[in-house]
Amino acid sequence: MIGHLRVRRSTRLGRPAAPRDQWPVRRPLTLRRERALSVAMLVPAVALLIGTSVFPIVSSLRSSLFETNPNIPGLEPRFVGIENYTRLFEDPVFLDSLRFTAIFVAIAVTLEIVLGLAVGVLISRRTRMTTLARVALLIPFALAPIAAGILWKTLFSSTWGPINWLLGTIGLPRQNFLGSSSQALPSLLAVEVWQQMPAVAFIIAAGVVSLPTDLFRAAQADGASAWQTFRRITLPLLRPVIFVVLVLRVMDAFKTYDIIVALTNGGPAQSTESITFLIAKEGFRYFHTGYAAAMSWVLLVIIMIVSIPLIRGLERAQRAGGADL
Amino acid sequence: MSLRRALLPTLIRAAVIVVMLFPIYWLVLTSLKPGALVQTSPPVFSTTELTLSSFDELLARKPVVAFFLNSTIVAFGSTVIAVVFGSMAAFVLSKTFLALRLRRAILLWVLLTRIFPPVVLVIPYFTILRDLGLVDTHVGLILTHVGYTLPLVIWLMLGFFAELPNELDRAAVLDGCSLWRRFWRISMPLVLPGLAVAAIFAFIFSWNEYLFASILTAETSQTLPVAMSSFVGQLQQQWGPMSALGVLMLIPVAVLALAAQRYIVQGLTFGAVKE
Repeated sequence: MIGHLRVRRSTRLGRPAAPRDQWPVRRPLTLRRERALSVAMLVPAVALLIGTSVFPIVSSLRSSLFETNPNIPGLEPRFVGIENYTRLFEDPVFLDSLRFTAIFVAIAVTLEIVLGLAVGVLISRRTRMTTLARVALLIPFALAPIAAGILWKTLFSSTWGPINWLLGTIGLPRQNFLGSSSQALPSLLAVEVWQQMPAVAFIIAAGVVSLPTDLFRAAQADGASAWQTFRRITLPLLRPVIFVVLVLRVMDAFKTYDIIVALTNGGPAQSTESITFLIAKEGFRYFHTGYAAAMSWVLLVIIMIVSIPLIRGLERAQRAGGADL
Repeated sequence: MSLRRALLPTLIRAAVIVVMLFPIYWLVLTSLKPGALVQTSPPVFSTTELTLSSFDELLARKPVVAFFLNSTIVAFGSTVIAVVFGSMAAFVLSKTFLALRLRRAILLWVLLTRIFPPVVLVIPYFTILRDLGLVDTHVGLILTHVGYTLPLVIWLMLGFFAELPNELDRAAVLDGCSLWRRFWRISMPLVLPGLAVAAIFAFIFSWNEYLFASILTAETSQTLPVAMSSFVGQLQQQWGPMSALGVLMLIPVAVLALAAQRYIVQGLTFGAVKE
């Protein structure tokens, strides 16, 4: 398609510039006009982004400095300065949710990267079986997380769930997965990994495909084992890709909300309340908007700190990929 | 040795396929089982007694058609807005009319907005939409979804525009082609596949999005994920109809995801990793 246009261009360049039917020249092209047009084309997107990010963020920062209590009718929000923030760090519920979120993110992302790396390498070559495996990975990934959570609730059922049936057939006792405070976290992790590991696998597979093949041929000629090839060639060369995927997954794992709502609703005994879950609960069940806003700012700062290397890494990768930055 | 070398990866691949697909199989099977076979111990793993009665029950219990319509309106609306304005912005940002520093600042900001956890935004969104009278409207939810998908579209399209040869643009400039015509008539037709991918990603996000929808919609604009979650708290669990709804929700996005399979990596990594 591009080649076709190139041919047309070269024939056109040979002729003197004259108005043509296809591209009529209406007004002369000036840098000023071009600039004005480029600004006009940017405006809608920038306006939407201001409306949907800058404005809400600023309004959230403002409300985090106020105390709201809708239980007392007619009470105006009261300015309390940083009191919401100081209260936060003495609130055991918040600190517990911070701890839960940290553990959840750490384990989920580790599992996703390790499993995704293995699966990604295994599906990188195109065969009939890997094509089927890609489809098998893609469908759970496309399923809405809220639906995935509800689906797994049936799988985890203590009386008629297939997982407990499987445990029974290998002689293990029935588990009350979602109702027990020691099993609820692993259960959530299973669903999270089932849904998100495919993303890692696809990215790793793409990274493997883009590696230079001569290295692998040389390794094969030298009689390297599959493990040696993976450990000494694939893994070191994939480091930049693994890095991108790692930070992307960390960023997203902090946002986990839907599957918690569907599977445990924060329970049993508030043991699976992530920060995201707690913010939504404080803000929309109790209407403590100021307090919830303060929480969300703490979460924002944590995610920012984690994401700064990502922004640098993505920028570098984009530049290497030829983007005109 | 060579047998083991060939067999082990195949076995692992087979295991991956089974583990990934079994829950989906279970969802579809539960939606097609007659009610009496849904909650049995031991569970029924295959049956020939398939029926659509769960779907009938679902349609009788919930205004599924309305939910489907709401989800479609919101997903289409937000996708069209994000793709049109996003590709316009990406085209300008891929050219050199603006100062480099300004372009970089805009791009970094765009990336930052993607990093914001949605839950940080949802309380301010609620207040803003309430002030505008847009709570529980399609427009309100569409705007919040655009806020999330626009940055993704901009970054993706930037990558696709950057892949076009520079001479193409230069030649059009020589012919006196304005920026808009170079965008609309020359570059856009060439990045149509990329545009489709950006659109599919935006659509899937919007279709599956639960947090914003659960708080910003009520009766008139409730979407499918919210309808799905309304099953959760019920005392008498309706597993059959619930699975039927899950299947109905999954079909459109699964088809789209399969269609965009080749580009899924670019979409996931903001164009940082290409396949």
